[in-house]
Amino acid sequence: MKWDEFFVTGEPMIYGAMASIVLVSVAIVVGLTYFKKWGYLWREWLTTVDHKRIGIMYIIAALLMLFRGGMDGLLMRGQLARPENGLLDAQHYNEIFTTHGVIMILFMAMPFIIGLMNVVVPLQIGARDVAFPRLNAVSFWLFFFGAMLFNISFVIGGSPDAGWTAYFPLASNEFSPTVGINYYAIALQIAGIGTLMTGINFIVTIIKMRAPGMSLMKMPMFTWSVLITCVIITFAFPVLTIALALMTVDRLFGGQFFTMANGGMDMLWANLFWVWGHPEVYIVILPAFGIYSEIISTFSKKNLYGYTSMVVSMVAISALSFLVWAHHFYTMGHGAMVNGIFSITTMAIAVPTGVKIFNWLFTLRKGKIQFTTPMMYSLAFIPIFTVGGVTGVMLAMASADYQYHNTMFLVAHFHYVLIPGTVFAVIAGMYYWFPKLFGFRLNERQGKLTFWVIAISFNVTFLPLFFLGLKGMTRRMYTYSAETGFGPLNLIASIGAVGLAIGFGLLVYNIYWSFRYAPRDTTGDPWDARTLEWATHSPIPDYNFAITPKVQSLDCFWNMKKGKEKLFEDELEEIHMPSNSGQPFILGVIFFFLGFALVFSWWVPAIIGGLGVLVMLGIRTFERDHGYHIPVSEIKKTEQRLRGETV
Amino acid sequence: MMKQLFPIKHVMGYLLSLVLSAVALVVLIPDLSYNVKLTILLVSAAIQASIQLFLFMHIQEEKGTKSTLYINIIYALFVGLVTIFGTLLTMIWGYM
Amino acid sequence: MKVNHTLPLEYRTEENSNKILGFWIFLGAEIALFATLFAVYLTLWQRAGNGPTAAEIFEMKPVLAETFLLLTSSFTIGLAVHSMRLGLKKPTLVFYLITLLLGAGFLGIEIFEFYTYVHEGATLQTSAFLSSLFILLGTHGAHVTLGLLWGIAIMIQIKREGFNEYTANKSFIFSLYWHFLDVVWIFIFSFVYLKGLM
Repeated sequence: MKWDEFFVTGEPMIYGAMASIVLVSVAIVVGLTYFKKWGYLWREWLTTVDHKRIGIMYIIAALLMLFRGGMDGLLMRGQLARPENGLLDAQHYNEIFTTHGVIMILFMAMPFIIGLMNVVVPLQIGARDVAFPRLNAVSFWLFFFGAMLFNISFVIGGSPDAGWTAYFPLASNEFSPTVGINYYAIALQIAGIGTLMTGINFIVTIIKMRAPGMSLMKMPMFTWSVLITCVIITFAFPVLTIALALMTVDRLFGGQFFTMANGGMDMLWANLFWVWGHPEVYIVILPAFGIYSEIISTFSKKNLYGYTSMVVSMVAISALSFLVWAHHFYTMGHGAMVNGIFSITTMAIAVPTGVKIFNWLFTLRKGKIQFTTPMMYSLAFIPIFTVGGVTGVMLAMASADYQYHNTMFLVAHFHYVLIPGTVFAVIAGMYYWFPKLFGFRLNERQGKLTFWVIAISFNVTFLPLFFLGLKGMTRRMYTYSAETGFGPLNLIASIGAVGLAIGFGLLVYNIYWSFRYAPRDTTGDPWDARTLEWATHSPIPDYNFAITPKVQSLDCFWNMKKGKEKLFEDELEEIHMPSNSGQPFILGVIFFFLGFALVFSWWVPAIIGGLGVLVMLGIRTFERDHGYHIPVSEIKKTEQRLRGETV
Repeated sequence: MMKQLFPIKHVMGYLLSLVLSAVALVVLIPDLSYNVKLTILLVSAAIQASIQLFLFMHIQEEKGTKSTLYINIIYALFVGLVTIFGTLLTMIWGYM
Repeated sequence: MKVNHTLPLEYRTEENSNKILGFWIFLGAEIALFATLFAVYLTLWQRAGNGPTAAEIFEMKPVLAETFLLLTSSFTIGLAVHSMRLGLKKPTLVFYLITLLLGAGFLGIEIFEFYTYVHEGATLQTSAFLSSLFILLGTHGAHVTLGLLWGIAIMIQIKREGFNEYTANKSFIFSLYWHFLDVVWIFIFSFVYLKGLM
C-alpha cells in the first residue's frame, strides 16, 4: 500500500484536520511534560477504577465527540444552505453525514448518559462503587479507543460513507471498496463490547448493592431508568455484535451474508441493524426520562407523581422496544401483514410514553416551581419532545410512511426526539449534578442565556425540515437545484445551526468561567434536592459515604432534612476499596492496535493483537487483587476537612 | 454420607439428556410429518436445556437472586425468540 | 467485607455472589447472541446458491460423536463442582481434566468436519447458507476454545492454591459457562443438523 492511499489526500479541509491533530497532540505532550503531569495523569485518571472519575472521563469524551459530530452537522448545513453549493463534494458529504450519525448516537449520546450513570447511580443507591470497578474501567477504555479508532478514519484510510445505518449492498466491498466501512464495523464492535459490559455491571450494581432498606420501589427514578436501560443494553447489544461480525466477515473474509449473489440477502443487514437499532433509541431516551423525573420533582418541590406508573411504563417500553424494529423499513417490500403488525406495536409504544408525559405534568401541578437552568431544559423538553413523538406516530402508519420515508420529515422527527429527549437531558443533568462532582454550580445567568440560544436555535434548525420533507426533499442528498424551491427553508435551517453552534460555545465558556469564578458550595446540597446523592459532601470523597446510609423511604434525603428519618446512624468502620490498575488502559490500547490492523487486513499485526488480548485475560485471571482498606482515623480526617473544620 | 457423595441429580440429568438426544434422532425416519418432527425437536431440546439449567447449573440455588435469574432467562428467551421469529417473519414468511 | 458462612465457598463474599449474578446476566446476553446467529442461519439455510445444500454435506456420525463428547463433558464439569463442594481437591482436578479433554476431542472433530467441508468445496465464501453455518458453528467452537484456555488457567490455580474464595468462585462460574455451551450445542444439534437432514 502506498502512503497516498493510506492517508486521505487532496482536500484542504483534511490537511487542516491533520495539521490540527498533530498540533493538538504535540501541545498535549509538551504541556504534560512541562507541567510534570504525566504521573498525575497516569495515577489519578488513566488507572482509576473510581466510578466518579470514570464518569467524568466519559462526559469529557462525550463533549469532545459532541463537537466533532457538531462540526459535521455544521458542514452539512453549510453545504445545504444554498442550492448548488460547492462547499463539499458528494463523497465528502456522504462521509460527513455518516460520521455525524454514528458519532452523535454511539460516541456522544450513549457515553454522555453512561457518564452520568457512572457518577450518579452508586451515590443514589448508597453504594461505595459499582459492582465491578475494574470492569467499569475496561468498559470506558474500550469505548474510548473504539471512538478514537473511528475518528482517525477521517485522515487515515477514509471515513465510512454509507450512512450511519451502513445498508447493504452499498456497504459491501463492491460499492464501498475503501477501508471506511471496515472502520465502522470494527470501531463499533470494540465500543459495543464496552457498552455491553457496562450494562451487566450496572444491573448487578443496582440489584445487589443498594443501601439497606432501599427496596426496588424506593429507588430514585433515575436509578430505575438506568436499570431498565441496562436490561435493554444487555439484550440488544449482542445483536449488534453479531451484525457487525457478519459485516466484517463479508468484507474481510468474503462471506456471503449480505451479498447480491450466492443466496445472500442484503436486507437481512437492515433487519439485524434495527433489531438492535430500535432498542438503542430507548437506551438513549430512558435515562433521559429518569434525569427529567429527578429534576422536575426537585424543582417543583414535590415528590414524583405516579411513581409506580412511571416504573410500569418503563418496563412496558423495554419489552415493546424489541417489537417494533421493522418500522424502519416499511418500504422494503414485505407484505401488508408485517407492516400492519409493526404499525400497531409502534403506535402502542406511544401509550407508556404518554403516561410519562402526564406524570411530569402532574408533578408540576401545584408545585413551587423554581426556574433553574436544568429545570428550564426539562420544561422545554415536554412540548418539543411531544412534537417529536406525535410526528413519530405519523411515521408509524405504514401506508402514510411511503410518503415520509427517507425524507427530511424523518430527519426532523428524530432530531425532535433525540435533541430534546437526550441532548437537553444530558445538559440538564450536567448542570444539575455538576456541583456534586466539583463543589460549585455552573453560572445560572449564563446557563439560562445558553438555554434560550439552544432551545430557539434548535427549533429554527429543525422545524423547517418537516416542511422540506413534506415538499419532497429527501435526506442525504448533497445538493439540490434552485427550481426545487428548497432554498429558503434550507437557509433558515442553516442559520439555526449556526445558532446551535453559538449555544454550545456558550456552554463551554460557562464551564470555563465557573471553574475560575463561581462561588464554592459548602452544603453538598445546593438545589435543596431529594435523593441520596445529595446526602454526601461535594466534591465526593473517594468512599462516597463515610457511613452506609439506612433508607426508609423514597426521597429519603428530603425526609431526613424534614426530620422524619435518620440516614446515618452507624459507627464509622474501615472501608474496603478496590485498587487502581493500568490493565484496562493497556487492554484498550491493544484493542486499538488490533482494530487498526483488522481495518487494513494486516494479518500478522492482527494476530499479535489478538494474542495480546488473550495475554491480558490470562494476567487478570492469575492476579490476586485484594484492594485496600481506609482506616477509621483517615475517614475522620477526610470528613472533618470536607466539613470545613480545621484538622 | 453415600447419599451426599453420590451426585444423583447429575447422573439422572446425564442419562436423561443422552436418552433425549437419541429420541430426537427419530426425526430422521422419513415417514413422519414435518410438524410432528419439528415438535419432537422443540420439545426434546427444551427439556434438555431445562435439565442443564435446573439439574446442572442450579439456577434455583441462591435464595436472594433466584427471581432475578429467572427474570434474566425469561427476558433473554423473549428477546431471542422475538429476534428469531421476527426475522423469519420479516425476511421470509411476510415477504411479498 | 461481609462473609456469609452458610453459603457454599464460591458464594461466600459479597463480591463473589455479585460475580455469579453478573455471569448469569452475561449468559442472558449470550442467549441473545446465539439467538441472533440462529435467526441468521434459519433465514439463510435454504439459500445455497450454486453450492451444496445442507442435506448434501451433513453427516450424522461425527455429529453424534460431538454430541456425546459435549454432553459427557457437561456431566463431568458438574461432577467437578460437586466434588469441589465436598472439598475434594484431587477428584475436582481429575473431573476438570476429563472435561477439558472431552472438550478438546469435540473441537478436534469439529475442525476435522470443517476440513472435510472445505475439501468438498463448501467454504465460507461459497454461499449464504455456508457462511451462516460456518459462523454459527465457529462462534460456538470459539467459545469452546476459549473455555479450554480458561479451564486450564483455573486448574493451575486450584492446584496451586487449593479451594479458596477466588478459585472456588472461578471454577463455579466456569461450570456455568460450560453447561451453557452444551445447551447451545443441543440447539445446533437439533435445529442445524437434524432439521437439515429431516
